[in-house]
Amino acid sequence: MAELMTPDSRRCSYFFLYDGSKVKGEGDPTRDGICYFYPEETPLDRQELLCGQLAGVGRCVSEVSSSPVRALRLRHNKYAIRMEDDFFWALGCSVEVPTVSVCELLDQLINLFCFYNGPVRQSYQLNGREPLAARWAQYLSHLQSGSSELQHIFSCVRTMDSTNVDPLLLLKAALILQACQRCPLVLAGCILFRGRVVSTQMSPELTMKVMVHESETYATSHIPSGPGSSSSVAPSVSSTTVFLTLSELQDLQAAPVDKPFSSRSTPHKDAPMKKTRLSRTLSDMASTESDTSDPASDQAPQKTSFAPCLSESESSMFSPSASQSSTDPSNPPPHSPKPNSQQAEEAALDESHYHSFHSDADGGGPVCGEEDRSARGPGSQLKDGDPDAVCETALDREAETGKEESSSGGGSEEEVGGSAVGPEAERGPAPGSGAPVDPAGAPLIPMTLYLHRVKSLVLALLVQPHFLSDTASVEEVYHSSLASLNGLEAHLRSIPPRVPGAPGPYLFAHFDRIQGTLTTNLSGRPGGAPQHPFVRATSLLHSHFCNTETLQEAIIRSAGAAVYGTSSVAQETYFQQHGGSLRNSGIPNHQDSAFSLPSKARHRLLKHGVNLL
Amino acid sequence: MTTKTSLLKVILLGDGGVGKSSIMNRYVTNKFDAHLFHTIGVEFLNKDLEVDHHQVTLQIWDTAGQERFRSLRTPFYRGSDCCLLTFSVDDNQSFLNLGNWKKEFIYYADVKEPEKFPFVVLGNKVDVTERQVSTEEAQRWCQENGDYPYYETSAKDATNVAVAFEEAVRRVLAMDERTDHLIPTDTVKLHRKPRSAVACCS
Repeated sequence: MAELMTPDSRRCSYFFLYDGSKVKGEGDPTRDGICYFYPEETPLDRQELLCGQLAGVGRCVSEVSSSPVRALRLRHNKYAIRMEDDFFWALGCSVEVPTVSVCELLDQLINLFCFYNGPVRQSYQLNGREPLAARWAQYLSHLQSGSSELQHIFSCVRTMDSTNVDPLLLLKAALILQACQRCPLVLAGCILFRGRVVSTQMSPELTMKVMVHESETYATSHIPSGPGSSSSVAPSVSSTTVFLTLSELQDLQAAPVDKPFSSRSTPHKDAPMKKTRLSRTLSDMASTESDTSDPASDQAPQKTSFAPCLSESESSMFSPSASQSSTDPSNPPPHSPKPNSQQAEEAALDESHYHSFHSDADGGGPVCGEEDRSARGPGSQLKDGDPDAVCETALDREAETGKEESSSGGGSEEEVGGSAVGPEAERGPAPGSGAPVDPAGAPLIPMTLYLHRVKSLVLALLVQPHFLSDTASVEEVYHSSLASLNGLEAHLRSIPPRVPGAPGPYLFAHFDRIQGTLTTNLSGRPGGAPQHPFVRATSLLHSHFCNTETLQEAIIRSAGAAVYGTSSVAQETYFQQHGGSLRNSGIPNHQDSAFSLPSKARHRLLKHGVNLL
Repeated sequence: MTTKTSLLKVILLGDGGVGKSSIMNRYVTNKFDAHLFHTIGVEFLNKDLEVDHHQVTLQIWDTAGQERFRSLRTPFYRGSDCCLLTFSVDDNQSFLNLGNWKKEFIYYADVKEPEKFPFVVLGNKVDVTERQVSTEEAQRWCQENGDYPYYETSAKDATNVAVAFEEAVRRVLAMDERTDHLIPTDTVKLHRKPRSAVACCS
């Protein structure tokens, strides 16, 4: 039975993008609509079958219920679904993977594509299927690479093992980023070492997107990223065009940039102003606390700030009232239509310049100018712009959809997983994954990703597109950070790899929802026999926590094991104690050792830096 | 000899705030930033230059002067070819601490012959009018501690900065030449066969 087999190390079993606009007539073959299908070696008639059937079901359910389908559950697989104008995406996973996680993976994948290529429709208008298929394959493999089973459940940012790094070095990294921000064209940045985050000023989602390019350039670092892409400053610098959603951009621009070195060590100062954090460093502990007490932090930061303008005026995202409501008066005003279009034109002008920096010369550059202008028109359908999940109202409808479907359709194998997915948007496991989708499509704003590599260390900055043509700014940023980057690289390289100690008589996993990080004492190897029940229990509990916002603590048990889980807006923690027979008589018993799990977890996890008190 | 580029590691040591980072930045990028933050741990920059027909890449290591960063900076002392002991002429304490810096360096860099190691002493911030350390005092210290060259510098207005680094390079090259001369006289060439021996035995 497939269900009992050890889960494939691959996170996803099927993924495809189907373009319904290519299959309109009765005689049009389904294959014309298949833009990309994974696994690529799947026979074409099977591809057609799956695309045709799933797209048909999805469309049918959506039309019946007049709200989009988010998930389809079959006997052996479950599929996350996304439908935007004529595009239909489906990503299939084993049923063991929580539905929230599958949906999140699909969103991540589409977001990644849009981040590097711009809106999907335009990408396919400007490029052939082959180069874009290679992109999908690349992003998919990146998202699946080296991930453990737990990483299938939580989409997390890979960070340095902070228990093994001198906190002063994390501070050093944060200060490098702040120094870069002294240049007004620099929005935010992150520092990565050997593919792991040392410090970041961006949301976990954005950081994860940036990391894809980093790992890509790392793989080809022998060729210093193409002849055109290296700047006049040094061959170690490269850049590429990327596309931010409006909420991502607003978030970055509204973030209070502390001017030179006024130190992160005063978290209380910016915490009440804005939930966005600038740096993942020392100060974060404190500001996380303050987040917890804030009921609004249920929702992702950008969502809270952006939601009002959507409901008020769906068509004009740039209306002054919207921007009024979305910002703190003390922060610089976000985009108003005028400067933004100006900026787009500048971008178009600059494009000729920075197109030469664009190593993958297949048109990321030219897209941006036109796309940004056209996106402002009410008729534009660039939904890809904000591929982030569904807003709450849509979800309520969706939940109904699920009911309607199961009563009306009553398909033997299918059920619409709307209700299962619903709460994800209410309390997205990773902040930001729940930015509401504008039905008219959100615009994507072209920006530039600047990378400066020093051996295994990378400084990645999101900068205004005209940054690269501003030689003075480029040199300022380059020279102000070079010595520190050299030093940080030397420091980090000299850290001895931590000898993994004895795992201890317990297993734990701690997911920081704010920073999107996972801490665990599980070995990375998949399918470790004693770990499997823990992973399954974690997966189940995670689903429950996502679906039931009021659920805070739970113990899940089998005859031989009990796993304790606790969840808050800031974190999710799972704990299993080995050994000691479980006294489980089936009736509540105060001697039941499972009831001591919460206090054991609190006690044991303190030394891992996890505070459950 | 002249075409070969050698990498020389020089390290700047001295109390916090005497201007080590500014000296390095002035020398390598010719810029001065009055708002630099404390250096955390170590940083370094490379600069290519030619001194007396020798092509050298100077790797200048800037260190954190504050005591709390000691454990971060000391592992990087090893392998230094020259040490620039830095104080600020408007801060007498930083001058008094030079001896401690020298000791710390010799200890952590594991210098075999401390009396021969090339140190250069820099009195920075000569642009400041209120001096606490006189030139004579500084020169006396240098003479008494091993006849180190002394330069009064200002990273702010670029006084003597390049000169000091060039002197550091010269000192290192002079050291190398001395050892170069020593090596041939002390070594035995293993590959040269003593011809006479063959004749003798047969």
